[in-house]
Amino acid sequence: MGAAQLLQFTIAGLKNGAIYALIALGFTIVYASTGILNFAQGEFYMLGGMVAVWALRTLGLPLLAAVPAAVLVTVGVGALVERLALRPRRAEAPLVLIIITIGVSMLLQSLARHLFGPNEVALPPFTAGPSITFFGAAIERQTLWVWGLTAVALLVLWVLYTRTKLGLAMRATAVSHDSSRLVGIDTARVVMVTFALAAALGALAGVAVAPLTQTAYDVGARIGLKGFAAAILGGLGGPVAAVAGGLVLGLTESLSAAFISSTYKDAIALVVLLAVIFLKPSGLFGRAGREKV
Amino acid sequence: MSLLAIRDVTRVFGGLVALDGVSFDVHEGEIFSVIGPNGAGKSTLFNIVSGFDQPTSGSVSFAGREVAGERPHRLVRSGIARTFQNTQLFEELTVFDNVLAGTFPVTRAGVVAAALRLPRARREDRLAREEAHRLLRMVGLDGEADTLAEDLPHGLRRLLEVARALATSPRLMLLDEPAAGLDSAETRELASVLYRVRDAGATMVVVEHDMGLVMEISDSIVVLDRGCKIAEGPPMLIQKDPAVIEAYLGEEAGDDA
Amino acid sequence: MSDRTRRFAQSGGAVLAAAAVLALPLVVTDRYLLKVLTFVGLNVIIVAGMAVLFGYAGQVSLGHAAFTGIGAYTCGFLTARAGWPWMTAVAAAVALSALGGLALALPSLRLRGHYLAMATLGFSVIANIVFVEAKSLTGGNDGLSGIPFASVGPVRLDTPWSNYLLVWGAAVVVVALVSGIVRGRPGRAMAALQGSEMGAMACGVDPVRVKVTAFTLSAGLAGLSGALFASAVGFVSPTSFALETSIILLAMVVLGGTRSVAGPVLAAVALTLLTYIDGLIPGLSKTTVAALQDWKGDIYGVVIVGVMLFVPAGMAGLARAWRRKSRSVTGAGEAA
Repeated sequence: MGAAQLLQFTIAGLKNGAIYALIALGFTIVYASTGILNFAQGEFYMLGGMVAVWALRTLGLPLLAAVPAAVLVTVGVGALVERLALRPRRAEAPLVLIIITIGVSMLLQSLARHLFGPNEVALPPFTAGPSITFFGAAIERQTLWVWGLTAVALLVLWVLYTRTKLGLAMRATAVSHDSSRLVGIDTARVVMVTFALAAALGALAGVAVAPLTQTAYDVGARIGLKGFAAAILGGLGGPVAAVAGGLVLGLTESLSAAFISSTYKDAIALVVLLAVIFLKPSGLFGRAGREKV
Repeated sequence: MSLLAIRDVTRVFGGLVALDGVSFDVHEGEIFSVIGPNGAGKSTLFNIVSGFDQPTSGSVSFAGREVAGERPHRLVRSGIARTFQNTQLFEELTVFDNVLAGTFPVTRAGVVAAALRLPRARREDRLAREEAHRLLRMVGLDGEADTLAEDLPHGLRRLLEVARALATSPRLMLLDEPAAGLDSAETRELASVLYRVRDAGATMVVVEHDMGLVMEISDSIVVLDRGCKIAEGPPMLIQKDPAVIEAYLGEEAGDDA
Repeated sequence: MSDRTRRFAQSGGAVLAAAAVLALPLVVTDRYLLKVLTFVGLNVIIVAGMAVLFGYAGQVSLGHAAFTGIGAYTCGFLTARAGWPWMTAVAAAVALSALGGLALALPSLRLRGHYLAMATLGFSVIANIVFVEAKSLTGGNDGLSGIPFASVGPVRLDTPWSNYLLVWGAAVVVVALVSGIVRGRPGRAMAALQGSEMGAMACGVDPVRVKVTAFTLSAGLAGLSGALFASAVGFVSPTSFALETSIILLAMVVLGGTRSVAGPVLAAVALTLLTYIDGLIPGLSKTTVAALQDWKGDIYGVVIVGVMLFVPAGMAGLARAWRRKSRSVTGAGEAA
């Protein structure tokens, strides 16, 4: 395999990796503040792409408006899911909440099929034009958008978490709900904001990638799983680890498609997921501590 | 020979020394109390003996066998039962079913025997049920057999946990603050239950703050302070021990501040 | 009613229900309806196992459709392509699914939290990729066809009636065995574990062992259902074992409720019939049936979320609460 070809696979890997990173971030922040594995995270990605296409085609909005509109709509959905389906059962065992997210995921997927139809759809690229050649490898313009938007999202998230009062409240809530309430933090609101943010990250990934790969009502589960694999790979710890996990997963997938088998490319991500779940001792995960005796 | 021998047990959490070279012996048939101010390391000690925690160094031997680091469910099978400071009842099950669950280590039916309802599984089940009823009578909960554990009044929850621990047929019972939250009448009832347990042949180690109860029921007492053993002996001597008085006075002064 | 008489009444009721189910072909002559009812029986077998896993051991699986698939493909391949006798092939199918369950559960259950749920989701997706891509074994997207009917020695079960009896006979046996397990010592260990893991450990219960046992058992039963499905239908394709199917199965156990076998079994009957409602009510218009099919994903989603929001212990939990209430009322009456 030539250097240019290898570079091509690397670029593809980093493009997918950036998408996985955004999904993984969504998983990580929700898990940190609630302890919930959100099985509906992938549906936010699906909604981003599908709503954007719908806004563009059915409502006739310009692309520039359709994309942020899709993100906003998904944010609303994320906040609603938290408020209506999860908050009433906040006090219950995580198992109950996890099952709720599974049900929500199924529901969102079915509703999306009713609203947007069963077909695969795609967005036009954000900027038209031929691919850019880079040391013999071609980079689609949209790939640059993916990277750019991921970088912006990370920056915004970083500023939010480290430079704002809301971010401080979010970090405090992640450490302890009880102590946060004691110092006057509205933890219920923080959790809702966290879900909205996770939805925004998912939707952003969904719209950014919709011009590159077709999307459909049923893409959520698989992409959610990959985002989760990335999050696990990063240890479900901090945001940096989640992003690193995403990029590593994307590269692993792309290079294994190049060197091993493209048929089982999707399976490889999952094998990585299972291997990490199985081989990493529990101590490496965020909250693997014992119950207090 | 001692039933439980603790030798130089040390437990370090991060930089904090929770137990520092603690040694003592518990003899068959006694009621042995572990006391000390808050943070003395009593709970850590309990967790280590019952397998919920492991010592950083040192040895725990039970009936002549080294058991440090063994998992809790295995220790129960070899005869060490415990109750918890924060009761760990099966809230959605009835009082009777809670005690019945305690018979797990002394019964054997596996998935196949239970699925096929083999005669030996049914016989074993009947015996386990009889035993559970007997234990409920012993702790005075026979009137509450069908009550859900979550509906049980606070004072009776600790008795239920004692009955459940007894169902495992222990040689050694570890009771973690059995009188916490009980009023004086309930504490009297508890004391009489503990005497019955002892008369039935179980040895007991009790962590307890209620000094009246401790001095009354204990055959022997060990006092811990900040992870170290500062005294050991019968209640009469412990009450007069200057180091013990100082440790407790220090705590009270601290509490008042 | 005393405990004993209640148990007696319960087992009497169970025997009657079993007899009625097995006698049904005497009155039902419609082939389509019998086929639908056979599907119901297949789901009952899976859900009986998942009732143990979810309602007693407190674990969520999104992989049971995949285990069913493993059972179906194993039985199908061994009987249709490798020429194995039917009984041996079914045994192999069950063993392989159970083994798959064991291999998945053993490592992920050593960890706290709910990684098992995610691991099963991953497993489900991988299994589906394999079902589609391993064409030499599975026939790929076209599926595996020409699977022979069940046969024991010279007896071939090649009518809808005989297949109904085969599947429901198995279902009755499975439900009876599973009830024995949950009422006996293993079930007590599982219920304890769900109540308090530390409390259960203090009762000598090994949490990992109990959960792994429940998972392996339920995977094996899913495999059995798959094997029976393959021989009853004669054709197996990947779409039957997609993630959606696993979620539908989850909806059944969730609706049926915790700490009960009867609840999930009844829920399985109800929710399976829902999608084949036309077999039950012959006069139903085509559009109604089509609409139900179209909206079934939404229905299952709403069922899952709704039950968890309003009655997390499911129908069985409602029944328990109701029984307690009526008992305490009679108790008060006796005291007065």
